[in-house]
Amino acid sequence: MNCNKEAIQLMHQYLDGDIKKEDEDRLRLHLQTCSDCQRHFHELKRTVALITSHTNLTTSSEFANNVMAQLPKEKKRMSAKR
Amino acid sequence: MIGNRHEAEDLAQEAFLRAYVNIHSYDEKRKFSTWLYRIATNLSIDRIRKKKPDVYLDAEIKGTDGINLYAQIPNDEALPEQQVESLEMQTLIQEEIMSLPPKYRSVIALRFMDELSLKEISEILQLPVGTIKTRIHRGREALRKKLRHI
Repeated sequence: MNCNKEAIQLMHQYLDGDIKKEDEDRLRLHLQTCSDCQRHFHELKRTVALITSHTNLTTSSEFANNVMAQLPKEKKRMSAKR
Repeated sequence: MIGNRHEAEDLAQEAFLRAYVNIHSYDEKRKFSTWLYRIATNLSIDRIRKKKPDVYLDAEIKGTDGINLYAQIPNDEALPEQQVESLEMQTLIQEEIMSLPPKYRSVIALRFMDELSLKEISEILQLPVGTIKTRIHRGREALRKKLRHI
């Protein structure tokens, strides 16, 4: 297997959950014998773990209230219709 | 994707307002979150394109002798050591993500922070799934090189 192209391509497919069974088997076999690719694969998995575990995406506590407060007021005519 | 909490919240707020005002243009046959993500992502991309940093923290303040804006920022109060470490790590990773070109940053954010499927990202960005895959692969390789030594 060509380490620079094919193996790396398969690693990404694997990480995307988008790999064929036979390709996964080929990749696994290759990783057992190629330490460079093993390291590369490990670094990719670690990268994904780092960016998923170290991001904090919560909004501040006032966020929802701020949004609600900024919504345009309904026109009186519209609300009277209900 | 924006790299600044205040600005990100500002944009998120704007996204909700736009969704509210333009609700008539939402196609009920499609997923609501995809539509909302598209509004938010487009706003973010516009903001990144227009953005020119107006203040550089390390620029010398006129009329002072070597004093820059960093010196004007008060120190954060002390935090337990572990928290500092994790905060530093978070900042470092955020900086590396911010150093990517916006087209990679958007897919990385949608894929790894919002954990959306390739198909949904393709609908949000209105690009073929193949293009999304290529960008994720390249973005992930770029980050691998930047983060392997930490």
